[in-house]
Amino acid sequence: MSELVLAGLLVLLGALALVAVSAADLLIAAIALGAYGFALALVWAALGAPDVSFTEAVVGAGATTVFFLAALLRTSRRRSNVPNPQRLVALGAVLAVGLVLLVATRQLPLWGDVGAPPSTHVSPRYLERTLEETLTPNAVTAVVADYRSYDTLIETLVIFTGGLAGWLLLARPR
Amino acid sequence: MTVLVVLLLAAGLFFHAVAALGVLRLPDFYTRLHAVSKAETLGMLFTLAAIIVWIGPSLTAVKVALVGVFVFMATPTSAHAIGRAALRTGLKPWRRRGGSP
Amino acid sequence: MRIEDAFLGVTVALLGLVLVYLFRVAVGPTVFDRILGVSALGTTTTIILLLVGVLYDRIELFVDLSLAYALLSFVGALAAARYFEQTGDR
Repeated sequence: MSELVLAGLLVLLGALALVAVSAADLLIAAIALGAYGFALALVWAALGAPDVSFTEAVVGAGATTVFFLAALLRTSRRRSNVPNPQRLVALGAVLAVGLVLLVATRQLPLWGDVGAPPSTHVSPRYLERTLEETLTPNAVTAVVADYRSYDTLIETLVIFTGGLAGWLLLARPR
Repeated sequence: MTVLVVLLLAAGLFFHAVAALGVLRLPDFYTRLHAVSKAETLGMLFTLAAIIVWIGPSLTAVKVALVGVFVFMATPTSAHAIGRAALRTGLKPWRRRGGSP
Repeated sequence: MRIEDAFLGVTVALLGLVLVYLFRVAVGPTVFDRILGVSALGTTTTIILLLVGVLYDRIELFVDLSLAYALLSFVGALAAARYFEQTGDR
């Protein structure tokens, strides 16, 4: 039952991604991408990952749409024509990377496999020691903000730099 | 209590279905907006009421009610904003062919 | 019939209704129809999140997500409306 729902949602994801990629009007592409975010959030919720679902809904469907619309407001809605050879190179690169990823997926442990390496020593280590080491009740928060605080700090730096660069490029001259 | 929950769920599903039917079948943007913003808000209220009755009085029930309050404010606001934007950019409302509106 | 079955039935039915809104997003015909589809999708997703919380018996976790989501889900529609008010082309 839930697998059927999941399969249906995945087909929808593919269809929405095609709409977003093929739309000549970039505004339609941005809106289709927002709907894609909502559908992906439902997939995460169906897989039992509510926090990922929440992040996807807020960032993927909410904030990204707003950012794209703000960018379109200051640039153009029309897609610029990329010359054909360049598009073929891009298509080839995307297909090659996709193929590599597909092959690599077969090496991954099954979803929810208790015998997989992350389930046998990584997760128990954090779940058992997080509270005494960091005094934080939420293990995910502790990993992101405590064990990997430098990683998170530099991620924030990257996002800040990206935002600054976008603002410098798109700000209207007075 | 079980009967009440099932009745509320059925009422909510009915209004959600009406909203979806309107979005699917009505002839133009304004009529679809009209259908979805009203019927979906009502369906949402019934479904949330069913959840509140089912989980009983608690802090979680208050939060579910708060979701209702926020959606109750947000849906009409965004519907109004889109409708006004459509009107101002010159989207013409649908008229019956040949007849008076 | 257990009452969980009723909740499950409503959840699956709402997922079916999501298809209708996704159809509007994909087909249009005007860009406003697509925005309307996304905003209706946001409301429906808020409710489906709560129903999934009831089904998984973790409503106290899902309600927080749904609450924050209800606050944020309509900013996309407002931003799109503002875009049209500022540029005037559709």
